[in-house]
Amino acid sequence: MALADYRADAMRCTRCSYCKWIPFDLVKSSRFAKGCPSVDHNNFHNYSGGGRLVTYLSLLDGRSEVTDRVVDIAFKCQLCGNCDVACKVCRYDMEVLAALREFRFWLAEQGRVPPRYQAVIEGFRRRGTMLGAPEADRGSWAQGAGVKDLSREKAELVFHPGCRHSLGGGLESVARTSLDILRKAGLDVGLLDNGQCCGGRVYHMGYREEFARTAARVLGAWEDAGVKTVVTPCADCYHTFKHLYAREGSRVETIHMVEFVDRLVREGRLEFTTPVPLKVTYHDPCHLGRQGEPFVPWEGAEKKIFGQAVVYDPPRPRYNGAQGVYEPPRDVLRAIPGIELVEMERIREAAWCCGAGGGVREAYPEFNAWTAAERVEEAKSTGADALVSACPWCEQNFSEALRDGRAPVRVFDVLELVRQAL
Amino acid sequence: MTLSRETYRQLEDIVGAENVSDDPVVLDAYAFEVLADLVRPEQSHFMPRPVAVIMPRTTEEVQTIVRLCNRHRIKVKPLSTGWYHFAAPQSDAPTLQLDMRRMDRILEIDEKNLIAVIEPYVIAAQLQAETLKLGLNINITGAGASCSVLASSCAYAGQGPMAYWMGGNAENLLALEWVTPAGEIVRTGSLGSGDGWFCGEGPGPSVRGICRGTIGSRGGMGVYTKCAVKLTHWPGPTEWKVRGTVPAYRLPIHEHFRVYTLAVPSWDAWADLYYQIYDNELGYVFHRQFNLAGADLAPAFWLMYNDHTKTLNDVEWMAQEPGMRELTEEMRISFQFIMAGRSVRDIELQDRILDAILAEVGGWKVKRFAEEDMAEFTNMYLQRLGHKHINYVWAGGYIGSWMQVGTPDWVKGYIPIASAGLERDAASGLLVQCGGDAMMGSGSGFPGGGGTGLEQFVSYDPNDRESTKAAVRHMEDAVRDATSYGFPPGKEALYLELSKTDEQVWASLAAANQPAVFEFQRKIKEALDPNNIGDRLYSTLPADRTIPADKTPATDRR
Ligand code: SF4
Ligand code: SF4
Repeated sequence: MALADYRADAMRCTRCSYCKWIPFDLVKSSRFAKGCPSVDHNNFHNYSGGGRLVTYLSLLDGRSEVTDRVVDIAFKCQLCGNCDVACKVCRYDMEVLAALREFRFWLAEQGRVPPRYQAVIEGFRRRGTMLGAPEADRGSWAQGAGVKDLSREKAELVFHPGCRHSLGGGLESVARTSLDILRKAGLDVGLLDNGQCCGGRVYHMGYREEFARTAARVLGAWEDAGVKTVVTPCADCYHTFKHLYAREGSRVETIHMVEFVDRLVREGRLEFTTPVPLKVTYHDPCHLGRQGEPFVPWEGAEKKIFGQAVVYDPPRPRYNGAQGVYEPPRDVLRAIPGIELVEMERIREAAWCCGAGGGVREAYPEFNAWTAAERVEEAKSTGADALVSACPWCEQNFSEALRDGRAPVRVFDVLELVRQAL
Repeated sequence: MTLSRETYRQLEDIVGAENVSDDPVVLDAYAFEVLADLVRPEQSHFMPRPVAVIMPRTTEEVQTIVRLCNRHRIKVKPLSTGWYHFAAPQSDAPTLQLDMRRMDRILEIDEKNLIAVIEPYVIAAQLQAETLKLGLNINITGAGASCSVLASSCAYAGQGPMAYWMGGNAENLLALEWVTPAGEIVRTGSLGSGDGWFCGEGPGPSVRGICRGTIGSRGGMGVYTKCAVKLTHWPGPTEWKVRGTVPAYRLPIHEHFRVYTLAVPSWDAWADLYYQIYDNELGYVFHRQFNLAGADLAPAFWLMYNDHTKTLNDVEWMAQEPGMRELTEEMRISFQFIMAGRSVRDIELQDRILDAILAEVGGWKVKRFAEEDMAEFTNMYLQRLGHKHINYVWAGGYIGSWMQVGTPDWVKGYIPIASAGLERDAASGLLVQCGGDAMMGSGSGFPGGGGTGLEQFVSYDPNDRESTKAAVRHMEDAVRDATSYGFPPGKEALYLELSKTDEQVWASLAAANQPAVFEFQRKIKEALDPNNIGDRLYSTLPADRTIPADKTPATDRR
């Protein structure tokens, strides 16, 4: 696709501003009604989903030029997808999130990206990871685990911890717990490219080519190793494998670790024996929740029925958050004795983003921190002792937002609580 | 036109550099507006660009900005949530756009006295969510939950599906804080005499009608910075347990409520039923809503919408299914009706009365839409009005034509004309063909009933120039159809006005039923806006226009 392919979406935007809010039916208070971190922080209409459509329309039509402000508008956004869900409450002919991504590709191809991306992408090209961790640290979490190395051996299931879980930062225990559970379940599991990035984050930063190369390399390696299923505890990687790799032709089944644990609990193959006395609230990661829907291949074109009604031939898959992964992490938490789950106001398809997505953590630290702090405020309003998520990026962002230690809220990954309960 | 650096710096000094911009790409995001394509040359989606956008945080900042604009003869155009071409600059004259989104606080909810005090960027969904917790509700304007309560109260009439019970927001407006075009801060009604927000008229200055104007000032007459609105009793649960799957959320029906789609065999029966409903004081939310999808397609559309695995493609075959065809005929003339009682016995009595009057007029409750899924969906839709953007669902473009308000007997007179007009104009295939009757509207815009109106939903594709041109032709046709049958022009004339020259606008104001109103408004504008920094949406008739003798006010004629 090219940006011009999304011109129709801009032309059909009504500036209704639904994309600035969570779906209105779900609004429970004035305080937590807003849904778009970007426009809430930056205020000008351009910083909303619809505002970005108009921004590129203005550029495509030659009414304005690419400036630093345009770069700021395009990239100071988490690509969290709330706008997409909110717009599609009423529309079938809009693909706001896809258009926002395309806008970035268009700019990145012109070399117009936030200056802070430079170091990140260079690191990615050199080391294959988003993170600046030393080469030697990679995969140290798995030392002594005695797990298959799929660069030499074969297995049907590959465990992909994700760079954030495997490159320090204190999040390695999630990777270790996951691997333990998989092995205890008797699965033939291996590791490949331990510590390498899936490429999803560079994709969201606008580097489509780098992503495509990474995906091709990983998919080739999986094929050589006979991989049929990938399991990951990282919501970002989950989305990347389930959607972005699928678009590149992957047929490998993608499972998030919380889905896997949920399955084991349901089948009676995993039992929680140790109570974890904690009141928790669950944060839906964007890439597991509303963007975690099954991928459906589609190639088609617009057509009209009833004179002018816009439809697609064949019917276009509709990603609107209806089929995201919402219940498995909640079911796992509910199954742990001692845990009381209380909900925030903005949940499931209407969840407020943690702040880290879409290259915001890399380029706009202040905006990133503000977005996380906003979510932490919401978590605090529930009276929960802990804010729990299923993504290391969310976990790290919230931990940093709570670093001053003033709030009596702790941060966990679901799998950390699972480990405590086993 | 660009602002001088000096003026720009002065704006920065008022609100901080981060809250003002004159970057062309930022300005274009404000020039872009829905319906612009119907009134701008070459079907452009952009209204004129403002010279800068500024986001004030306080009334004092607004006042300083307005005074600066007076000094530099720059027009001022405020917007709150900013939906429709009225919100953008109306001419190429240098215009400063005030985006009011940083004034977003609910300042007070006075539960005992049924008053909420709000700033411009509080939307209806927010205010309703807060008032429900206290057992109170607000009237949500027909444009829905996304809209500013202040704007609908101060700058429009603010009517909608709930106005029948709660009154339109023009009536619900209590005291108001207003920065006039000349930069004076006026506090109206009781606020002006230091007595708080409870009354919009005396003992302080009573200017509600003056600042709103005839049909709403729509950003053309200064800046409203705070207002109080009237709240009403909410007989339902203080916490909504919304369920269902996006997009068709469902609100469970409380035991004090009934939610129906009511249907009748003819438009005569429709008018009779409306009168019976008024007379028997039934109803909480009263609206012909679902017919916006068109009488031929509405049942198939809404059942598709309630199945998240389906898309618009499915409507095509669903509408042809025998069962759906029957349902389509069953609810061809229908509307949505929610009743609220103070107790179970109360609502049971209301239900019996409804059954009796339905029997009398030959009407019925549509069974499929009374089943739990559709009834709960209807309840959600109409109690929150959070799906109003669905007006654009067919192709991204819609205009409302007709919508003249009158008694049911009078309104039924234009229904066949409006239906035939849409069928004729959609025959080209350039407009959506969904049945000639795609009319929707409130059961009554006035509390307790009396005046209704139906808006013809005309859907077009704004990404298709020919379709857009067909929409413009339809608007012109609708004006002609209305006037040739003795009806005043409808909503389309308001939209179209933006494409007219000043001379054309003045000619149509002079030909209106009460042109003296616009002469009076000119005098108001001369007094309050001496430097003409407002725009022509506050409609005025120049002094040199003659008003036909038969249209001068009765007192003058005497
Ligand atoms: S992107 Fe969608 S929700 Fe946002 S303003 Fe445009 S039409 Fe409305
Ligand atoms: S993706 Fe998220 S941050 Fe970006 S515009 Fe949409 S709602 Fe706002």
